[in-house]
Amino acid sequence: MGIFGDIRSYLGEAWEVWNRFWFKPTDPATLSLIRVLAGALLFYTHLVWTFDLQAFIGPEGWLPVEYLRNHLQVTEQLDGTLTPIWSVWSVFFWIEQPWAVWCVHILALVVFFCLMVGQFSRISSVLGFLLAVSYAQRVSPGAFWGLDKVNCMMALYLMLGPCGARYSLDRLWRLRRGDTSEAPASATANLAIRLLQMQLCIIYLFSGLAKMQGENWQAGTAVWWAVANFEYQSIDMTWLAGYPALVALATHVTVFWESFYIALIWNRFMLPITLWIAVAVHGGIALFMGMITFGLAMIFANLSFVSPSTVRRWVDPLADRVALKLSGDG
Amino acid sequence: MSKKRHENQPARSDEPSKAEKTQPAKKRAKPKRPAGEVPWHPAVRVILSVLVILHVTAVFVAPWALSTKPALPPGFVGPLDANGQPQMIPNNHPAWQMPVVPQTLHKAFSHYLNLAYLNHGYEFFAPDPSGTHVIDYQVTQPDGTVVEGRFPDLEQQWPRLLYHRHMMLAEQTQRMGLESGQHYADHLARLHGGPCRLELSVHLLLSPADVLEGKEIDDPKTYQFIASVESQSENQAAETIAIPGGTQ
Repeated sequence: MGIFGDIRSYLGEAWEVWNRFWFKPTDPATLSLIRVLAGALLFYTHLVWTFDLQAFIGPEGWLPVEYLRNHLQVTEQLDGTLTPIWSVWSVFFWIEQPWAVWCVHILALVVFFCLMVGQFSRISSVLGFLLAVSYAQRVSPGAFWGLDKVNCMMALYLMLGPCGARYSLDRLWRLRRGDTSEAPASATANLAIRLLQMQLCIIYLFSGLAKMQGENWQAGTAVWWAVANFEYQSIDMTWLAGYPALVALATHVTVFWESFYIALIWNRFMLPITLWIAVAVHGGIALFMGMITFGLAMIFANLSFVSPSTVRRWVDPLADRVALKLSGDG
Repeated sequence: MSKKRHENQPARSDEPSKAEKTQPAKKRAKPKRPAGEVPWHPAVRVILSVLVILHVTAVFVAPWALSTKPALPPGFVGPLDANGQPQMIPNNHPAWQMPVVPQTLHKAFSHYLNLAYLNHGYEFFAPDPSGTHVIDYQVTQPDGTVVEGRFPDLEQQWPRLLYHRHMMLAEQTQRMGLESGQHYADHLARLHGGPCRLELSVHLLLSPADVLEGKEIDDPKTYQFIASVESQSENQAAETIAIPGGTQ
């Protein structure tokens, strides 16, 4: 076999590996668990808008829609004029009446609740993504932050696979109709999980690279400046002032973990360590810096690296108990 | 049923159903896919692969383009001012070297990224953590009572996520320009029915040495005034009255 044969053989093997990576059917347990958790987070995130809906989302709020569209979400034309970017979209850009904003908001809460409990999962996942993006675009810029990015990312990939195949009311209704067959392995469940994993790797890579440019991240003091921020603080961590080595260790671990996550997470020996560091980092952000929702969102996204068999070992007993209660047999 | 079976179970059981057994052989000609085998026709997989590559490239390009900046050639010295000091190099100066690849790719994917809400960076406290911004406001209502408030403020904004949204409002004023602060003033004026005055401040951070000396991180002295904005009525555009040391 000559060089062309070797190349052909290599490409054939690469194509097989590529196909297995992206398209091999997998148990939808992991995707279903992410649906439950991301659905709950989406529901809570949007429920909180209810406290001041018109101010943030309404047409004449903190930043009126007209100002947002004509001054902030704009692109410069060749003649120097600024025009709104057509691809930046939100249903709230077309709604002028406050009562209509409330109608959409109530619909959105119903959709996110359906997504969480797995009712009409296919439809609620598509509507959930469209609504999540609508809210995020309405407050970008203005009041958006990392939580909106991660929420929309999870909603995007939940649309692609059978996210209601397990741990859902859809499944419970199927069981009650006498359909006791197992949730089938699904190629689209694998595709959705893989895309979520890839985006998570990209997020950490660029977050790590950006931190590497920061002098305080290089010097090992950045964690201090984060915990010494009164507006973020939820638990007083200023006692760290007396432990500069601990601050430096936490700073350097964060930078290296984020930068090399993209490589470490694919190694089966490093996978659990990398994931537990994710829990520690994001759990710390949630507990000490008051960003509970964002910390949870990142931990939920990291669950995409937990195998379906592990998810089933942890979640199935609880899900079975809930199913028995709901069906009145428990 | 074993766990192994759960994970690799094919889309349908390999056992033909009763109904399938009664079908003519011609209709059962299509062989069942073995457990775990990659589904779909190769042509479908090729198309999907192209879409996957395009999507992942787009997801990569967004933070890449946002994190790369134009650079001057090594050793480049711009024109000097009357005192012999280097002047600021204007953005349109031909010496600037643009990051062509990320910018071109970003332009190509920008509408797709916007539609899917993927068009952003992921800096998260980078390049360096800094002090947060705070907005204090005063609204004088028609009966003379004065409504005062601040955002973010844990006592006024609850739950924590709503507080965080208000923190972002104050924070992103820096990037949007002071005009955004004028819209905040207009909003508060409409809400409370009277003229509103806003003050934007930055909350400076204390070093470990300061804290060890006993200074408090919420000491009023750690808040530094940046600018103020005033709104006269709900129909009148707010006007900026002072921007000492303003960042915009």
